[in-house]
Amino acid sequence: MAEAITFKINGETKTVAIEGHEKLIEILREKLDLTGTKCGCDDASCGACTVVVNGEAKKSCVFPHAKLNGAEVTTIEGMTGKDGGLHPIQQAMIDGGAVQCGYCIPGIVMELHALYSRNLEAGEAEITEALSRHFCRCTGYEAIMKSALLAQEYLKKGRKKAKKGK
Amino acid sequence: MDLKYVGKNIKRFDAVKKATGKALFLDDIKLPGMLHAAILRPEFAHAKILSIDTAEAEACEGVVKVVTGKGCDFRYGDNIRDLVPMAVDKVRYIGEPVAAVIAETRQQARVAVKKIKVQYEPLPVYVDALAALEKGAALIHENSGDYWHLPGLGPKPGTNIANLYQLKKGDIDQGFKEAEVTVEGEFVYPFGSCAALEPHGAIVWFHEDKTIEVWSSSICPFIIREEIARVYKLPESDVRVHIPELGGCFGYKSDITVEQTIAWIASFVPGRPVKWVATRKEDFTSTLLGHGIRIRMKVGAKRDGKLTALRTTVYHSTGAYSDTGVHVSIAAGHNSAGTYEFPHIHQESYLVYTNTPPIGAFRGYGHQEGQFAVERLMDILARKLKMSPFDLRARNYLRPGTTSSLGERIYVSNGDVAKCAEVVKKAVFQGEKPREDDQYWYGRGFAALTKTPKGAPHSSKGCYLKFNGDGSVSINCGGAEVGQGLRNVVRQIAAETLKIPPERIRVYTEIDTQFSPWEWQTIGSMFTLQGGAAVVKACQRAIAMLKKTAAQVLRVEEDVLDYDGEHVFLKNDPEVKIEVHRLTRGYMYENGMTAGEVVQTTSDVRLPRYSGPDVNGQGTMGVSYTFGAQGCEIRIDKATGQVIIDHFASAFDVGRVINPEQIRGQIAGGVMMGVGATLYEEVKFDKDGKCLNPHYSKYRFPTIKDAPRRQTIECLETPESIGPYGARGIGEHPVIGVAPAILNAIQDAIGVEFYELPVTPEKIKAALAAKGSGKAGK
Repeated sequence: MAEAITFKINGETKTVAIEGHEKLIEILREKLDLTGTKCGCDDASCGACTVVVNGEAKKSCVFPHAKLNGAEVTTIEGMTGKDGGLHPIQQAMIDGGAVQCGYCIPGIVMELHALYSRNLEAGEAEITEALSRHFCRCTGYEAIMKSALLAQEYLKKGRKKAKKGK
Repeated sequence: MDLKYVGKNIKRFDAVKKATGKALFLDDIKLPGMLHAAILRPEFAHAKILSIDTAEAEACEGVVKVVTGKGCDFRYGDNIRDLVPMAVDKVRYIGEPVAAVIAETRQQARVAVKKIKVQYEPLPVYVDALAALEKGAALIHENSGDYWHLPGLGPKPGTNIANLYQLKKGDIDQGFKEAEVTVEGEFVYPFGSCAALEPHGAIVWFHEDKTIEVWSSSICPFIIREEIARVYKLPESDVRVHIPELGGCFGYKSDITVEQTIAWIASFVPGRPVKWVATRKEDFTSTLLGHGIRIRMKVGAKRDGKLTALRTTVYHSTGAYSDTGVHVSIAAGHNSAGTYEFPHIHQESYLVYTNTPPIGAFRGYGHQEGQFAVERLMDILARKLKMSPFDLRARNYLRPGTTSSLGERIYVSNGDVAKCAEVVKKAVFQGEKPREDDQYWYGRGFAALTKTPKGAPHSSKGCYLKFNGDGSVSINCGGAEVGQGLRNVVRQIAAETLKIPPERIRVYTEIDTQFSPWEWQTIGSMFTLQGGAAVVKACQRAIAMLKKTAAQVLRVEEDVLDYDGEHVFLKNDPEVKIEVHRLTRGYMYENGMTAGEVVQTTSDVRLPRYSGPDVNGQGTMGVSYTFGAQGCEIRIDKATGQVIIDHFASAFDVGRVINPEQIRGQIAGGVMMGVGATLYEEVKFDKDGKCLNPHYSKYRFPTIKDAPRRQTIECLETPESIGPYGARGIGEHPVIGVAPAILNAIQDAIGVEFYELPVTPEKIKAALAAKGSGKAGK
């Protein structure tokens, strides 16, 4: 029953032995010790388990291992720089006051990472649409929206700086 | 008061770990040799267990042990000891633990648990209190008279009544005799789930040395410790409970819920830790639900609007076990008087056993259910009296000189509800509301509210403070951080009192009963008030110790010394001074001799004269009151019946804002939670007690698209005399006025009176159809 799958996780290629029933979240949390990805439900409702697969935000609680071979996966652990520096989206979550219990935050960071990597000019409607895939019981979403906009601002500034640097 | 750190937006120190995914929650913990449990739930909500066959499950791959309730001879609970860790001879609700599999992996346990075969003999099922109260109803607890309970509480043997609370103030007959107008209604606040993003979970480890170690997603480590020690006959000091980071609570992680079940399971495999984490379905059906409250209320008033009488009957469907629901029904009773002085009150709360999951704390704890009723009736009464609803309320507000339903005198230091109402009125009710158009009806609504702490009279919060050798400070409290930011509150209050920057103060992360000061449990919006006051006290004691050592070294009396965070110095000659870090472990002279004590202090604070109810159901059961007001501007979509909240305004007299950003987050989040309960959320059961929607995909959890388009949030600061820097509680309050404010606005929009939650688009459309025209009623 055991088989092996090979995929890229946070920039590193890994081969993992699996039993066959696993969803991506179990592979991340139980086999790779990447516990930053959180589980809030099992029917793809709450978004806490969102990771980025091949550039797209995916709910890892329903993502089958079969689709994983050769894929490129980024989790919250892959967002922090090698020097321990925070990603601008993470910093924005903190600065905008979005972090209360924090259980939903990794999923939201990954959702926004996918969105802004695709379209840094996303308007409020598009951002709201992305965030509507995430449950938060603490904040009433006000600070999350504020932080999402702040993240966009930080990323735009970063891009400008990078351009200047060239 | 000129404050340096209190009242400032100091960033919470736990945010980095949470934003990087490195904060450790229960399910992130792995222990050596850890096993995993899966629990079998019954097919019937009320049934006798005839037999359990575990053979096939035992033969499954990876299975270490299969456990049933056989041989369990204890009950547990903090108020009414009616809970069992696992069903013994009958099941009383659909989520009750019947048996469990312990296996090497979670998956193996889940596969094997399905192989357990149980034969049942079904019994009659009651989902609603009224049905369970009917004559001839089968008893859910046959021997409830034998259960231990706190004095003044307890079941009525031979019935399904788990508790009856009665409150009498004045003479109710006289009150209604004096009334010239009466209004009444029956209000339903249905079952809801706190539905925190992180589900419940626990790890229990029976060590070979006969000590027990527990990790739990709970806010009451000490109750868990005491109850587990009691049933396993150990000294409390031999049970160690850890609380890691918590992914939200909102009530249902209070009291003791899943821990005794996991302990029972783990007791069969001593030497190895056993982990269990609820699936979302189990989190709905096998932990605690909220509300389940039906209220019949009648209000009497003079024609001039002066209130004369209040009669309230609460029917609380408390589920299969009552330990966690009993105080909710009491709170729903005495808080049903809201922010008003009624001279005559008669109030009864029937806590009734039913066949649903047990009901327990839900943010608001009985306050929103009772005040939903009274705030709806205030609007209805105002219309009947042809008075402004604001004037009617203002005429009757609790204010200095009045007494609450509990018989407590109200003082200026309790805060000002009238001022809160003014703020909301100004924010929401200025000018005319928009006129009905092709697409929408428009409405505006208001509600005043109050909340008092609710807890055990001996409830106390402690603080351990330690000055380090470099003058930095470590603080331990027993308050559970569930996201509300209380650890940052501790830090800001300590910084203010010790006059040192918050960066030099490290506040605890996990709670550990081995190291943390005792705290009853972190409930009732009491931490800022009690815990904050304990922090002030511990800081003041530390400063006194620093001065005592400095006095010895400087050869002066302590009272001529002052302290500024960096030095202890002579008041009359500040140049004569000693640096704080040279005093923290006693003062060392040049020859190494050291004088003075190590600066480590402890403190605790409880509410003064806080009590249980007297024979009339009254007493100093509030002590600290927080008043507030909420209002909203809504639109109702004519095509869909959808309520859209354009603007929601809240004003609370919080005494003192400790951290503006955090308090705004608390209020905005609480309002959203209230909106969910008002318009969307209900845990539904069929007549057989089966849960119809125990999944996020079927339980209508509010998303960003449901959020009010705009929130006005204002905090008033009338200082509380016992709170730190005048602060009082705010955690639960924002949910309380939401439902009546929105339902009053719906009435304003379409002229329909709703009495039951949630008011879904379907209900709005059905009500309009019933009115005949489908047009607005006004």
